[in-house]
Amino acid sequence: MFKANSQNNEDLDRAGRVVLKSAAADAETVEAAATAPFLFTRVRAAIKEERERREESTSWLSLIFVARRAVPVMAIVAILAAVLTVWSVGLNLSASPSQNDEEALFGPAEPGVEQTVLARGNGLSREEVFNIVVDRNYGVNAK
Amino acid sequence: MASLVEPTDDVLVSATVAGDEGAFEQLFERHRRQVARIGGRFFSQREQIEEIIQDTFTKAYFALNSYHGTHAASFKAWLTQIAVNCCYDHLRRARRRPEQGLGDIEESEAHEFSAQLRSPPVDVETRLVSRDLAAKLLARLSEEDRLVLTLLDVEGFSVAEIAEATNWSISKVKVRAHRARANLRRVLQRYL
Repeated sequence: MFKANSQNNEDLDRAGRVVLKSAAADAETVEAAATAPFLFTRVRAAIKEERERREESTSWLSLIFVARRAVPVMAIVAILAAVLTVWSVGLNLSASPSQNDEEALFGPAEPGVEQTVLARGNGLSREEVFNIVVDRNYGVNAK
Repeated sequence: MASLVEPTDDVLVSATVAGDEGAFEQLFERHRRQVARIGGRFFSQREQIEEIIQDTFTKAYFALNSYHGTHAASFKAWLTQIAVNCCYDHLRRARRRPEQGLGDIEESEAHEFSAQLRSPPVDVETRLVSRDLAAKLLARLSEEDRLVLTLLDVEGFSVAEIAEATNWSISKVKVRAHRARANLRRVLQRYL
């Protein structure tokens, strides 16, 4: 049985070699391909194309390299800017207490004549301002 | 009087690296048949073999800086290595392209092949099957199997030469060859 199996494998290997040889090109086709016109011109064109592609990828690589070096610098600048902003805000808050007092007294600023009058800081209360306006309107109506 | 001695491959390589395009053309003229012969072992169409030649010499041109010739046949062996790798790449690419599918083996082809396998061994050795059928049968093998079997059985490379050409270890080539042969037997078994 072992002998039969071995014979079978030998037959298959022989057939396999035949199949492999059959799949190859014949000598004429190989010669025709080797002596194809303008083959070296095509090789030269392919080399030129590949060279350009490599140069392009090299320039992209150098750009990435420059960007890689620029990123930490830009990060430091951004952090410095953020620190400066926070510091200047803190400085403004401590430098203008009167503005805060006005806000505490009159509430947040709103547009309008009354607010403008109040903002001048003459020490008038809302009621006094209201009375002035009512009196002015009364005077106009009386005329 | 001009010298009639042909410059060696290594001299031409050095000249090409130095920027002499003519030297590279001389290398091309000298070795293009060798590359075409290797391409022809794997591909039967003229256009495919031309592509192998073009790719091999293009890759060789950009790799010339890494070439260090040690003996007279160095450049040829080095170029063969590149050509074999190109063939392997093209086999892989051909497998990935669905339009390159070779389709099933027709009943008449299978019958004919079966009869051929049953004929006396001497006849089988001398007779070739149709190229189309051979391509369909080999499409059932992996690219590695096809590569190693073609180099062993058709190109007549030794295991060491295949290892050098493919950058595989000798033991890997042996294991690959053993498996490839078993796979090819399995493909052919159904026609016996």
